[in-house]
Amino acid sequence: MQTAISPKQNSTKAWLKDNGGMIGLLIFLAAFPFIVALFEGQPFTEVLANETGNAKFLQGLLIEVFILAIYAISYDLILGITGLLSFGHAMFFAAGAYFTGIAFKNYELGIGATLVGIVVLGIVQAILFGIVLPRVKGITFALVTLGMASMFHIIIQASELAEWTGADVGLQGVTTPDLINTSTERFRLYLITLMVTFLVYLVYRRFVDSPTGRVCVAIRENEDRALMLGYNTFHFKLAALILSSITAALAGFFHTVHQPIVSPNVAGLGWTVAALLIILMGGVGTLSGAMVGAAVFRLLEFFLDKQFGENANFLLGVIYVLLVLFLPFGIVGTWRAKRFRTQS
Amino acid sequence: MTGTLKKNRTQLITLAALAFLLVTAAQGLETKDWVITVLRGLSVGMVTFLVASGLSLIFGLMDVLNLAHGEMFMLGAYVGWTVFVRPDTFVDILAPLLLLFVGFILTPLWRALLARVRFSGRAAQLWPWMAAIIAFIILGLTLVSFPITKWDPEVYAESPITFSLALDQGNLALPEPKPFEAAPIIAILGTLAGSSLLASAFAGFGQRKQTGRMSQHIPRGPVITAVILLILALAAFWGNDALTEWLINIGTTGRFFLAMGVATVAGFVIGGVMETTMIRPLYDRPMYQLMITLGISFIIIEVVRAIWGRPEFTMPKAALFSGRGDACPAESIGDLIANQCSTVILFDGRIRTYNEIFIILVGLIVLIAVGLLLRRTRIGMIIRAGVQDSEMVEALGINVRQVFTFVFALGVALASLGGVLAAPSIGLSSVMGGQFLLLALIALAIGGLTSFPGAAAGAILVGLIQQFIIKYGQIGINIPFLDEPFKPSPPLVPASVVLLMVIILLVLPNGLFGRSE
Repeated sequence: MQTAISPKQNSTKAWLKDNGGMIGLLIFLAAFPFIVALFEGQPFTEVLANETGNAKFLQGLLIEVFILAIYAISYDLILGITGLLSFGHAMFFAAGAYFTGIAFKNYELGIGATLVGIVVLGIVQAILFGIVLPRVKGITFALVTLGMASMFHIIIQASELAEWTGADVGLQGVTTPDLINTSTERFRLYLITLMVTFLVYLVYRRFVDSPTGRVCVAIRENEDRALMLGYNTFHFKLAALILSSITAALAGFFHTVHQPIVSPNVAGLGWTVAALLIILMGGVGTLSGAMVGAAVFRLLEFFLDKQFGENANFLLGVIYVLLVLFLPFGIVGTWRAKRFRTQS
Repeated sequence: MTGTLKKNRTQLITLAALAFLLVTAAQGLETKDWVITVLRGLSVGMVTFLVASGLSLIFGLMDVLNLAHGEMFMLGAYVGWTVFVRPDTFVDILAPLLLLFVGFILTPLWRALLARVRFSGRAAQLWPWMAAIIAFIILGLTLVSFPITKWDPEVYAESPITFSLALDQGNLALPEPKPFEAAPIIAILGTLAGSSLLASAFAGFGQRKQTGRMSQHIPRGPVITAVILLILALAAFWGNDALTEWLINIGTTGRFFLAMGVATVAGFVIGGVMETTMIRPLYDRPMYQLMITLGISFIIIEVVRAIWGRPEFTMPKAALFSGRGDACPAESIGDLIANQCSTVILFDGRIRTYNEIFIILVGLIVLIAVGLLLRRTRIGMIIRAGVQDSEMVEALGINVRQVFTFVFALGVALASLGGVLAAPSIGLSSVMGGQFLLLALIALAIGGLTSFPGAAAGAILVGLIQQFIIKYGQIGINIPFLDEPFKPSPPLVPASVVLLMVIILLVLPNGLFGRSE
């Protein structure tokens, strides 16, 4: 019998219980530069004025984490939720990054126009993958997408395009608009990327909970059965691909704004593998796992590089192997499984 | 007849189109260029095939896409180099390595013995950890006491590069062997005890998970193998100097063939160990197998960089393939064999014996041998059945797990052999694995993922296309409606191969030889 609590109160409480951690994390991250400044003895006004210091440096590192998180969550949508194994995800990211760089550098477009371009670009790329989608399945789809991404990787390195893409050295010296300039307006960029990351996460969670997202999960579990139930699975896969591709291109946009150089490496297989590693570490199909994985991935890489220099990769490999053997479903996945077991 | 034609129509059309392209490609070339390009393509194709065949066997039987396969290829090259250029180090390592294996080969024995001992609850939980820690301490103390003459990748005069150059110029001087400091008997017994303890600790970990009675039967096979290995290890230990002397004296040709054998065996052992310890627990989590093989590939690259150094270096060719006497370049097969020439004249073109003849020959032998193994033997039959439906094979009472281990080991062994074969022609570097993994993946996709003949055909196709494009990069292609010949720039070489894969997969989603799901 629940009479003491009115339904409205109940839902607020339940909502707080479900999302309290997330809001707390959001507030903590927004206040993070000031907390660092407090420990360093740096006045808060300096943080707001983007003076150099540990607070600014850590903001830069966290912006990289946020960008990786946006990128990885977009991969989780097609791999973890829809069950499409793609090895060409880096193309989405790199196309966004290159487009932004070229738009700022060669055409001096504004931020709004660039973002519209990013969305169009994302849709075009998703449709490109969508063309091959009905023909190839499983690992063959992975290999075809790998082939497409490799072609993209090769083309942007071609010397004929040096004027735009900078050939094999990549885009150098992109002039970002003053509004989101990473060196003079770091704190603003930090807040923007933080907000965008959380927005993307909320949109994705909504998508997965929506009827469309449910069908996507059904496709992952058993595509034939989803077909039998009367869903045209192609449309749902394409929808997931479009959302994923736009998000990845958006991550590419912030990458260019933050760096502000683009190396051709972001189009390579290594960058797709990074996304794969992140969501495997965090937990496939958990969404929040992509966020956790991105943080672990980037911070681990940074820490190991700083501590061990050349041997960092060896330790990274060891850590991956140990993670797989001892955290069977990724960090978030294993934690959820454990909680589920203790509850029931 | 017409039925087969109809069934395979798309395949036949694709093959015809490819053949047509090849003939058109050959039109603008002189005969000697054509022959050389085809042979080079075959040579690259054969090395790719050695990597791709293992990948396809493993993927077909176990659905594991082994992303560390390229690194196994690289490891084979480095192991082969060590046997070939530094036999003294190889002999030094042999004894401790064999002793280590003795303990692990005896695992069934430890398991049977453990089944007779009863531990109470807490002790059963704890003792494997204790045993493992003690074993690591013992091994750490004893293994370092074995004198191993090494090289120092940091110091140029003692780096792998210098040794390679010295061997190529025929003035290789191996450093003085290190004397043994501790009492040898303690080191040997310590290594044996340590490896046995470690193996029984692992057996204990495994036992904890299993419920029910363990078999107390002591198997005879492993014991006999262990005794043979022990004798070999002792022989290698006390006959160290004599063995090194003998290896130096058999010359580069003998050593090269030995290097091929050792690399293959090493690959087989590494593959077996990798499958049993790391891949096996993950068969029900396929996505994580990708991650673990990726992690392993990172580890191997870094281990190779730590041991052999970061710079690239070459592996000299064996004497059999580097004769430069008066009768060279040879003009007939007889001349070639008599003078051991490095090049041979064929259709007025100079062809390198090693790169363009020997590699293809070995590749063909492996192709036929593995093909026979798959077609004509019992284990081959089980493998083919397992590719079709491994659950059914298991239901028929065949131990599929053992076959899995064998196939994984075989695949890695083939890649490893490919590495040592490719090393003298392309050199050794820590990125060679990644390049060939990509080529092998493309070959696999073209040939149909699980088909062994498909892997061979795809690999050869990839090699041929790649070499033809490189050739045309030098002379240019006459494209209709274009005045000047079109010259593909170097980056287009990988693009052409990738494009080929995408087109073939879009026309034939199951590849050339794949069966439809």
